[in-house]
Amino acid sequence: MCGIHDLTEQDLQPLAQSPAYLDKIRGMKFFDPHVHMTSRTTDDYQAMADAGVVAIIEPAFWLGQPRTGVDSFRDYFSSLVGWERFRSSQFGIKHYCTIGLNSKEANNEKLAEAVMEILPQFIYKEGVVGVGEIGFDDQTALEEKYYRAQLDLAREANLPVQIHTPHRDKKQGTRRSMDIAIEHGLDPAMVIVDHNNEETVKEVLDRGFWAAFTIYPFTKMGNERMVQVVKQYGSERIMINSAADWGISDPLAVPKTAALMHESGIDLNDIHLVTYKNALTAFAQSGQINESDFGVVTDQSEKFNGSSVLRGGQQPRINKNTTIIR
Amino acid sequence: MTAYVFDHEHVKTLLGQLIREQENARAGEWLQQRRELQQTTWSTRDFLQTFTAMPRFTGKQPVKPNADIQLALEKAIPGFFVYGWTLDRLARVWWMLFIPATDKSFYISQVEALFNGAEMNELAALYSALPVLAYPEEWIARTADGIRSNIAPVQEAIMLQNPYPARYLPEAAWNQLVMKAIFTDKPLDRIQGLRERANAALAAIITDFAHERQAAGRPVNPLQWQLLTHFLTEANFADITRLWHSAYNVEKEAAALVCYYSNYPPAKELLASAPYLADEIKAGTLSWDKVAHTVYMT
Repeated sequence: MCGIHDLTEQDLQPLAQSPAYLDKIRGMKFFDPHVHMTSRTTDDYQAMADAGVVAIIEPAFWLGQPRTGVDSFRDYFSSLVGWERFRSSQFGIKHYCTIGLNSKEANNEKLAEAVMEILPQFIYKEGVVGVGEIGFDDQTALEEKYYRAQLDLAREANLPVQIHTPHRDKKQGTRRSMDIAIEHGLDPAMVIVDHNNEETVKEVLDRGFWAAFTIYPFTKMGNERMVQVVKQYGSERIMINSAADWGISDPLAVPKTAALMHESGIDLNDIHLVTYKNALTAFAQSGQINESDFGVVTDQSEKFNGSSVLRGGQQPRINKNTTIIR
Repeated sequence: MTAYVFDHEHVKTLLGQLIREQENARAGEWLQQRRELQQTTWSTRDFLQTFTAMPRFTGKQPVKPNADIQLALEKAIPGFFVYGWTLDRLARVWWMLFIPATDKSFYISQVEALFNGAEMNELAALYSALPVLAYPEEWIARTADGIRSNIAPVQEAIMLQNPYPARYLPEAAWNQLVMKAIFTDKPLDRIQGLRERANAALAAIITDFAHERQAAGRPVNPLQWQLLTHFLTEANFADITRLWHSAYNVEKEAAALVCYYSNYPPAKELLASAPYLADEIKAGTLSWDKVAHTVYMT
């Protein structure tokens, strides 16, 4: 979700393409724990695989406009565990998701009730690694009601929770989200608080929650700022993601930030923790993640005789620098 | 009409036996518990949840074969084949055999509930279960819909080593299955009933499709020509003749096999021009299996 009100003429200029950053991260593996691939193209998958992304989590969110019926939610959830999962596997990227009712649509009470009815059917599915993204947008009473109801659902299912923190009144909204999670008996170690910034990170870490940062142009974190955050707070319980979606965003935010961190002298082990390992540790608490599935093109166990395992984005390539299409 | 077209209790026992042989104590215990729970009072919610949670308890290791059980299964349901499955899929298919089937609409509602909202591996298990479902005619539309899927594991569950489609699909849906399999590069030799269900409409589609591929400069799978065997005409025989003169040996072999099994007189004449090929076919050294091997293994 990108606000483009602060655009300057300079922002509109095409950027000089420099794949040089790829050299700095060669051989590194990345886990992007928040990216809305439903809104992205197949080219993005290919580019992500090339840059070392081996696993992703796609949180359920809103699609840019409100849905009018529960069946739209059912089909959306179903596509997250079906088609999108397969699409991703073609590029050797292991796809997981979190399932939940997002805060914006929690404001349609009648629909929200119907969505709550079908959530239990989905949160126990294979590869569902949490309830998310849930939390506050406008911080209305209805948002709170369904946030609370979904925290209970996550606790019963013993699943991690992925919390979306609001754009407006962020600091207060983040604090309130954590207070309510504690009130509902959730262990902070099971809660990933997302979209942090310099203002929210300290309290989130001090209270024992996971602090996720979204590297997203204009509206969330830039990666130079992220480098400073890691220099100041270290790598414990900190993770980064792209939250790439239908807005102006970057599905390569995680590998690019890793390259920038490397360039800025941050220790390789710290980079590994914030771009891979911490997300793995946090969401593996669901019992649904098997690291040996990462980077494998179509699940080996799904292959007919298990004999033909391909590795790393082996989909056919097209040459984009020519006018010829074959 | 009886619900099942095969000995349902027998197949349930065989699959249960095979699951127990997989040396997974945790799965065995848990499945037993879930079964007892389900036997006292049927709960749709618990039934669906067990199906969904299956891989958490069974794991996803490939099923270890047992030749006796396989033989017995094939005797009970011709063509039924569970090897290449993972244990969670086997257990899901077995679990479906517990749905009470006396009330048809209730049975259908339970199976539909499994399909609606199924994730990728669940869908694959559901389509793998087609040969063991009650009321087999009821799943024709569902299967035709599954063929439209773009998810490879789902397509494979329907198309490969599955006796249901050849037995139940009407001609149009069957032809769609075969064409989709060709389009998506499935191993055609693993489609059950491929030769038996060949038909004139499919032969025409195959020929047009081959011409389109040739026009685009793309290769044509030599295995697809076997579908023309009993439907050779003056028009499509030109394709077989072209194949016969191909620089690729495997194409010439495919043409020879079509001619050998066809009763079309010009085909017999063509084959007579290279008697060594007919000899190889007679001796069994040249066969569609051999062509499949050449196509898929090299």
